[in-house]
Amino acid sequence: MDGAVLHLGSGKPRMSRDNASAANGVASADERARKPLIKLDKLSKHYGNHTVLDGVDLEVMPGEVLAIIGPSGSGKSTLLRCINYLEPPDGGHVTIGDISLNAAAPAGRSELSTLRRSVGMVFQSFNLFPHMTVLRNVSLAQERVLGRSRRSADERSMQLLSRVGLADKAQQFPGRCSGGQQQRIAIARALALDPDVMLFDEPTSALDPELGLEVLAVMRELAETGMTMIVVTHEMSFAENVSDTVMIMADGKIIEKGPSADVMRNPQEERTKRFLRAVHDR
Amino acid sequence: MSADLLAILRGLPWTVALTLGAFFAGALLGVPLVAARQSRILPLRFLAMVFIQIVRGIPPILWLFIIFFGLGMSVFPISPFNAALAGLGLIAAANMAEIYRGALASIHFGQWEASSALNLGRWSTLTDVVAPQAFRVALPSAASYLIGLMKETAVASTIGVSELAFQGNQLSQLTFRGLEVFALVGMFYILLSLPVAWLSRVADGYLQAKVAR
Repeated sequence: MDGAVLHLGSGKPRMSRDNASAANGVASADERARKPLIKLDKLSKHYGNHTVLDGVDLEVMPGEVLAIIGPSGSGKSTLLRCINYLEPPDGGHVTIGDISLNAAAPAGRSELSTLRRSVGMVFQSFNLFPHMTVLRNVSLAQERVLGRSRRSADERSMQLLSRVGLADKAQQFPGRCSGGQQQRIAIARALALDPDVMLFDEPTSALDPELGLEVLAVMRELAETGMTMIVVTHEMSFAENVSDTVMIMADGKIIEKGPSADVMRNPQEERTKRFLRAVHDR
Repeated sequence: MSADLLAILRGLPWTVALTLGAFFAGALLGVPLVAARQSRILPLRFLAMVFIQIVRGIPPILWLFIIFFGLGMSVFPISPFNAALAGLGLIAAANMAEIYRGALASIHFGQWEASSALNLGRWSTLTDVVAPQAFRVALPSAASYLIGLMKETAVASTIGVSELAFQGNQLSQLTFRGLEVFALVGMFYILLSLPVAWLSRVADGYLQAKVAR
């Protein structure tokens, strides 16, 4: 627990303002020329008769950090998991960079692979591989997916492990690491594939508050490097202070979306106000 | 007594050969069988399920009779040892497939999800992530099945494989000292099971220490 944890006090990332305004539609001419990195059109998902996602439209600009908040069962996690087709949506389009998938047609294996190649994902329960060393956890996919040699993969892994402050854990097994450390390893593992966007599915929900902080610190640093991030979270301070944009979901729909300070401090929708009040009263 | 011991000892290699042969055949054939059992192709899955049910549903002694007296006398000639190996190997394959299936089911779905998110592909997911963990889960059940199989090889005596039980039976009929003879034979089975139990515990302890969560 070193380096990574010590940057909590730093201010808002430099690039956030431009991104937030771009996402908000009040963009200058050259910003308007920039294409969104991620674009969801009328994305929908049903489980039987139950509608989980009800035609969600969303654009995320390169470098933008988007926090998705909302009550449980609102479809936040499902939305995230539909972006990399961990759960295939059943209607609408997912576009990431130059790749566009139509949810109505079954996705081919190579299409899926191209899509997932640009997306890194971090899970609530870490999902590290318990039978491999920490180093191997980070290196494996680099070798198998990017075709890197063992040596260059390990080199890159060590860089990333240092970045999350865990170089000294490289030869340990994940079971010997704390939850916070495991999550930071999982972040390094996802970053190792050089994704264009990182998805975080409640990355701190399985951690006690103290360990959550070290994970949030790593995420804040990542945001400062300009990584595009979509974060499903219950951490209101992360939504307010680190993310550029906040989006509130309920019942499979976007209730409200805008620059984080506006949404968090001055919400317009009644549903948003109710949710934020409930969170603050806790 | 030492002559008796020698007579029984002659059965030992047959018991060992039959046990190991059937077990490794089963451990190997169990892999494609469980793959078929878990296949996304429905007819294949159904076929594997029916096969496993039939093989496990019929007593081993009956399988040996079917293969040795049934097929062996009418379709193709087969030696008692090969018939026993085929029958027990078949049964071991079905049982090992079920052990593998249980082990696979015990792997947390998050492991599959992480593999998908990392874009590992089916082969790497299976060989790098799932199989090594499933192997560790399957190890204790496989070891106890191996001990069970070793005792089960005694049925091969009924079709004339001269393994431990067969030798014991011969000897008791020659000497009329059934109690001593069969007690001695029993000792051999126990002696054979000890290293298996010990090895499985050592291996399990080693693997558990490595991935302790």
